[in-house]
Amino acid sequence: MPIDRRLLLYINWPLLGMAVILFLVGVLNLYSASGFRLEGGMNLAPYYHKQLLWGVPGLLGMLVFMFFDYRHLRTMAWPLFWTTVILLIAVFFMGKTIYGARRWLDLGFMNFQPSELAKIAILVVGARILSKEREPLGFIRLGYVLGVGMILAGLIIKQPDLGSGLSILLILGGMILFRGVTPKVFKTALVAIPALLPMSWFFLHDYQKQRIMTFLDPTTDPLGAGYHIIQSEIAIGSGGFWGKGFLQGTQSQLRFLPERHTDFAVAVLGEEWGFFGTLLLLALFCLFLYQMVLIAKDARGLFGSYLAAGVFFYFFWQILINTGMVLGLMPVVGIPLPFISYGGSATLVNFCLVGLVLNVSMRRFLFKQN
Amino acid sequence: MSNLYNESDQQPPRSGLLLLQTLILGLFCLFAVRLWYLQIHHGDEFALKAKDNQLRQESIFSPRGLIRDRNGDLLAINEPAYALGLIREDCPDIEKALHQVAQWTDEDYGELDALYKKNRKRVKPFEPLILVPDLTFDQLAVIETNKLRWPGLEIQFRPRRLYLYGTLMAHVLGYVAEANEKELSKNPDLALGDVVGKQGIEFMLEDRMRGVKGLTQYEVDVTGRRLQERILKHPRAGHEISLSLDLGLQRLAMDWLDEEAGGVAVMDADTGQLLALATAPSYDSNDFSSGLTSKQWARLRDNPLHPMQNRVIQSVYPPGSVFKHVIAGAGLSYDMIDPKETVTCTGEMRLGRRIFRCWRRGGHGKVDLERALVESCDVYFYKLGKKLTVDRMSNFAQAVGFGEKTGIRLPHEKAGNIPTREWKRRRFNEGWQGGDSLNMAIGQGFTLVTPLQVVRFFASLINGGKLLKPLLLKDEKTVVQREIPLTPDQLALLRDALIETVDNNRGTARRLRTKGVIVGGKTGTAQVVRLTDELKGLKDDEIPYRFRDHAWMAATAEKDGRRYAIAVLIEHGLHGGSGAGPIIKACIDYLFSGTVTLKPEARKAKARAVRALSLKKKEKRRAN
Repeated sequence: MPIDRRLLLYINWPLLGMAVILFLVGVLNLYSASGFRLEGGMNLAPYYHKQLLWGVPGLLGMLVFMFFDYRHLRTMAWPLFWTTVILLIAVFFMGKTIYGARRWLDLGFMNFQPSELAKIAILVVGARILSKEREPLGFIRLGYVLGVGMILAGLIIKQPDLGSGLSILLILGGMILFRGVTPKVFKTALVAIPALLPMSWFFLHDYQKQRIMTFLDPTTDPLGAGYHIIQSEIAIGSGGFWGKGFLQGTQSQLRFLPERHTDFAVAVLGEEWGFFGTLLLLALFCLFLYQMVLIAKDARGLFGSYLAAGVFFYFFWQILINTGMVLGLMPVVGIPLPFISYGGSATLVNFCLVGLVLNVSMRRFLFKQN
Repeated sequence: MSNLYNESDQQPPRSGLLLLQTLILGLFCLFAVRLWYLQIHHGDEFALKAKDNQLRQESIFSPRGLIRDRNGDLLAINEPAYALGLIREDCPDIEKALHQVAQWTDEDYGELDALYKKNRKRVKPFEPLILVPDLTFDQLAVIETNKLRWPGLEIQFRPRRLYLYGTLMAHVLGYVAEANEKELSKNPDLALGDVVGKQGIEFMLEDRMRGVKGLTQYEVDVTGRRLQERILKHPRAGHEISLSLDLGLQRLAMDWLDEEAGGVAVMDADTGQLLALATAPSYDSNDFSSGLTSKQWARLRDNPLHPMQNRVIQSVYPPGSVFKHVIAGAGLSYDMIDPKETVTCTGEMRLGRRIFRCWRRGGHGKVDLERALVESCDVYFYKLGKKLTVDRMSNFAQAVGFGEKTGIRLPHEKAGNIPTREWKRRRFNEGWQGGDSLNMAIGQGFTLVTPLQVVRFFASLINGGKLLKPLLLKDEKTVVQREIPLTPDQLALLRDALIETVDNNRGTARRLRTKGVIVGGKTGTAQVVRLTDELKGLKDDEIPYRFRDHAWMAATAEKDGRRYAIAVLIEHGLHGGSGAGPIIKACIDYLFSGTVTLKPEARKAKARAVRALSLKKKEKRRAN
């Protein structure tokens, strides 16, 4: 298949560049979090290594997601959705139980989490449904769209994996807001959601309630989640304006900081690079997200726009929740920061989704001339 | 493919795009403000917190539960001990610090270094890695005065188990030692260096005795000095345990066993509680508390007398004549004996071409069941065994608890062996022979029992036929495991025969007679090997130790509604009566009148001499 040169021409290079830069910042930060200078303790040294190695399948995945025509996904949306549903159901019967939750399918060479696939499925199906909507959503259409999302989310929450289930709903919710709702729906939601929120308290597990209580008052649990918040704030706060310098963070180097390679990775960065560095990272993330907005705006056809918007929300929520948690603005929930936190399959999915958005951008003018 | 292109050029919703941009801006502003607040506005405070005052947490050790005997006398307590720990992150030069520790404590630097390297990844960041578990007071004084010059080295207080009578009941109490890798991974509450029960009651009741560690939080300055301390969780001491053992009786039994290899078990026949469980040779539980050196361990492991072996529950022996009561019970139970009927003992019995001899060369003449038991006539039991056959004998033996574990609360109990036809075929690929039955009838051959099974059975003879679970704790409820299949009359018959064995002048247990106490007894001699011709002519003293018979004795004692069963086994003790009898007599005296009769020095000296000789021979063999 001859590759149209225009395809390469229209690649959104800033987005691609920022993804790679964010990934490298993540590896560098992990290197520091590994605390190689001090002996003993939990040995994190292999993590930056592994993370670096995951960059290879990540970049390959990105290429794969760039070079097929994303419009095929439109026709494949429903088959993809039902396949995901079937896999999610299969998990209940054939799933591998790890840490008390059935989330994995054993593929022989690796364990596969259908809930990761569901995140892609909801993007595609959501984009397909919403791109057909000519008007802001009224109650009935909203119910339909949410219903589709609830099928996936419900199956995942049942596993149980509340985090992934809610993130499905958050992504879909973001896409719905992108489409827009009728003023009536908006006003109702404005009243109903705060009213319903306290009720959801009863559906939470004890440990989840505990986390929220701890967030409200960290001193109630100075050893568990509260300890994380306290130590995270000390690490970041002590960074000051310029930071203590690369590899110089006393809090992270001295291992006061828990989970410094995964959920609290930003705290290491905050301590070593200070206000200046952290803000720079934040700006990078914002530009990264802004490129997606541009792609959504310029995409040829609404399907591409919605796809880009979906990926936008995929990243947006993670950044919001993770950073909010590390900065002590949100309860501690185990959500990683894209590209910065350690995690192999997360890296792969992140790159693939960047690839998908690049795909949309590459093909923005192609067909106008036909 | 055409459907790929038929989308209109409709523009994405303007409001949506605006929303996304607003979200980005909102995200940036929110976090920027928060970062400014943390890093600029409060930056100095946090920097100070990070630099000078660190919050750390440390466990507070909970003392293990105390152990007492049945009368409340303390057996195991906790004493203060001081360990030297190293907090890695506070220590500027670990190599130098280890050298200093080596100099203070006379430990080898290489060993300290190896210990450090092995464990450094296993302790949490600010927890001390224990270098020397047990400091002497001299060392403590030296280190305490120099400590400030050595940041990172810390003296840690931790209670240490102290057994007040180290060797006296080591096999019951067991011992504690540092948790190993497996125990650590199994129990998330344990940390490296924590002490857990490894043997005996300490092991079996670990969860009850350990208690719950407390937690303290403190702030430290840059050098690791503690500033403020706050207890977050108070430690909870482990539960106290009261054993059923009687310290005095246990001490008495151990004194009598002295240098012998053997065991004594005394059971309350009505409750199943053990008042003494003595086994010798023993070891000192305290040796383990502060960590056994490899040399100490090798000495224990290589000792030919196996001091770690609990001979009451973990060693199996042929029961010899004490088993005759079991066989007699089988005969009665299957209604195959008329107790009045007599058998003539000529001193031997022929079976095919083999001759089975009675222990009394000249024979006992006419004996009925009681006399056969009282005088321990072998021929009577040969005949009874032949009549019963192996099936009935083993059925009954199993019904009264042989060949199975008693369920005592100690680890590694042995079940012994009650042979059957099927067993012999499996084991030797050979059919059951008539001669096997005859051997079995006098407690020789393939039958193997533990002293604990014997004492449980004899208790059932005087408590109305209840087979009781042997108990070691004072507050444990009596468990009747089974009713033995004998009628009260049949039980009375066996009990009377026991008592007659003591009362009758021809009885083999006459030395047990005790004024005011109804005592019953049965001696036994268990052949270790069939004596070869060259050994046959020898006098007792001339037979090499390892070829000498084991001495058994089982007894019952009753007075004023208190009933006890006692079993004694002396390895290679030759004869039940003389070898084991005096111990039982001493136990009965203690139980009913509180008198303490210690073993005469002469007997002790003799036992020691025999032991020394045999050990020398054994070592010689090992050396060869």
